Amino acid sequence: MTADAPDEPVADEPVIVSAEIAAGHDGSAELVVTLRHPNGALEPVVMDGKLGLDLMQRCGAATLDDLAGRSWRDILGARVCTTS
Amino acid sequence: MYDVLITNGRIVDGTGEPAYAGDVAIADGKIAAVGRVDGEARQVLDAKGQVVAPGFIDPHTHFDVQLLWDGAAKPALEHGVTCVVPGNCSLSLAPLKAADRPTLIGMFQQIEEMPPEAFTQAFDWTWEDFQGYRDAIEKGLSINVAPLVGHSVIRLWVMGPASQERAATPDEIARMQDLLRECLQAGAVGLSTSFVDMDEHGHPVPSRYAQFEELDALSAVLGEFGRMLQIVPEFYDTDLTIARIDQLAELSLKHGIPTTFSPVFDSTLTPNNVPRTLARVEEQFARGARVWPQMQTRPIDISFSLLRPSLFFARLPRWVRILRQPLEPRLAALNDPDTVDKMVADLGPDGGEMMLGALVVRGGDAAPPELVGRTLSEIAKDRGEVPALALIRLSLENGLDVAFLAASRGHEKTERIGPMLKHPLVHIGASDGGAHLASFATYGDTGYLFSEFVRKAGALTLEQAVRKITAETADIWGLKDRGRLAAGQAADIVIFDPDTIDRGEERPAFDMPGDGMRYVRDATGVDTVLVNGQVAWRKGAYTDARAGVVCV
Repeated sequence: MTADAPDEPVADEPVIVSAEIAAGHDGSAELVVTLRHPNGALEPVVMDGKLGLDLMQRCGAATLDDLAGRSWRDILGARVCTTS
Repeated sequence: MYDVLITNGRIVDGTGEPAYAGDVAIADGKIAAVGRVDGEARQVLDAKGQVVAPGFIDPHTHFDVQLLWDGAAKPALEHGVTCVVPGNCSLSLAPLKAADRPTLIGMFQQIEEMPPEAFTQAFDWTWEDFQGYRDAIEKGLSINVAPLVGHSVIRLWVMGPASQERAATPDEIARMQDLLRECLQAGAVGLSTSFVDMDEHGHPVPSRYAQFEELDALSAVLGEFGRMLQIVPEFYDTDLTIARIDQLAELSLKHGIPTTFSPVFDSTLTPNNVPRTLARVEEQFARGARVWPQMQTRPIDISFSLLRPSLFFARLPRWVRILRQPLEPRLAALNDPDTVDKMVADLGPDGGEMMLGALVVRGGDAAPPELVGRTLSEIAKDRGEVPALALIRLSLENGLDVAFLAASRGHEKTERIGPMLKHPLVHIGASDGGAHLASFATYGDTGYLFSEFVRKAGALTLEQAVRKITAETADIWGLKDRGRLAAGQAADIVIFDPDTIDRGEERPAFDMPGDGMRYVRDATGVDTVLVNGQVAWRKGAYTDARAGVVCV
């Protein structure tokens, strides 16, 4: 956790507040979602392409902006897969 | 009588000291003298106007397999690299029982993207132990090799299939220690392990099942030899990476060993990652630990095709929905004019010029050769289409097997990365040479260091950059007699033009066994490369020299 959150309501568990596409180590597009924790801190979570797409599907997200407001638990529901 | 005399050079000796005009004399594979040298030589190389430096050392590669048929690790050598470290990320080609070869091949293919023929046609697999592998590669080396032994294969040898199922027993750990000791005695320069890698079935590689006690016991053996522990941490998470730094520090202090981890790279979306990582590294070095973060010089590109879903289109709901479908309905949608009209409209009034226009068509797949290297914007104009439509139609015309590249989408901010590379505790490496063959070129990072961070940005001086990839690397890895231009050192030398040294454009090459494809980059500005006193590359061509050794 690295930053203080702006003045917005906080939930009682971490929630996704934003999502962006980033370049992964292996040359694929990856997903970086930012979580807001109950104490207001923001934390980036990096997911590989498969996990990111699974997260979008699990959340019924048509676009990245639809991930905002979703629980961090949705990330756990997506399968972890990465390589160096 | 010297064997070789390099004259009129600009000597950058690897120590970081200012360059000076001078000569380098070589005899019996060693540097005999540096400075103003008198005397005759069998071969004289005029280096007027060029830098004479120690050969570069690449500390993170996966050339394990390629070295069996290509002793130069092409094109690494022509970029000035005279020593490579294979065996990273827990995987090496020994020790390995014959029955376990298919298991390891699957892991290697997952990481290296090498065709199966590379393992079945290109060499005779005659060895099981580490000495046998060393003997096999030493027959034809023109580059030096400092091989790591992989934790996963050590585990596989001792535990068999259980290596990917459970923690090891005390007896199994003791047998792993004995096996590691044998490998180190046979020339391994350390042990590699991984906390993230997967096999071809999506299962964690064996090293990931190890408890800390196992790594501690193996590190104790490394301590007997003072050798390196290399790891791949959970690099996508800063906090986990920091936890691994702390573990490495404990092992380093307890056993008196150097450790290194990779990859470390910068992203504007996680801007605190590298600063936090380096801050922890600084704290641990202050305690006396040696925990070297390896950072690559090259930026990271994104590549994709319409054959597989990609997050590249994650801001376009219709594209995501269509491209996630199985192949048959996906093709049907992409062939439906109404659907395509809507997809193109999703890109806005410019037809995708802003988002897609700069994409570059890659080669090596079904892409028409004449389009390789051109931007989608250019191609679209020629076709009289907007970029979004050109992307779809070009893909359809070639079975969707056309890869597009979005260049420099990560680790690309030179103004941020330059100071990181200059940091005294940052170990320049992580090239991954010989891996990710079908995804991107892993060659020429040294040329890019000079072109981008010395010439263009001025983040490092020429002398600092040379030191980073020569003497500093040799010292970190404990490679004796390497990395400096000084009397008595091995004559690993690169002669290059400091004004032009660079990496070439990425291009497909079909030089893998079974006509397998990989992406490569040619060298620019490298005139001559000597390995152990013999000219291995000169004026754009490889020689017949085979002077490379397994160097420790």
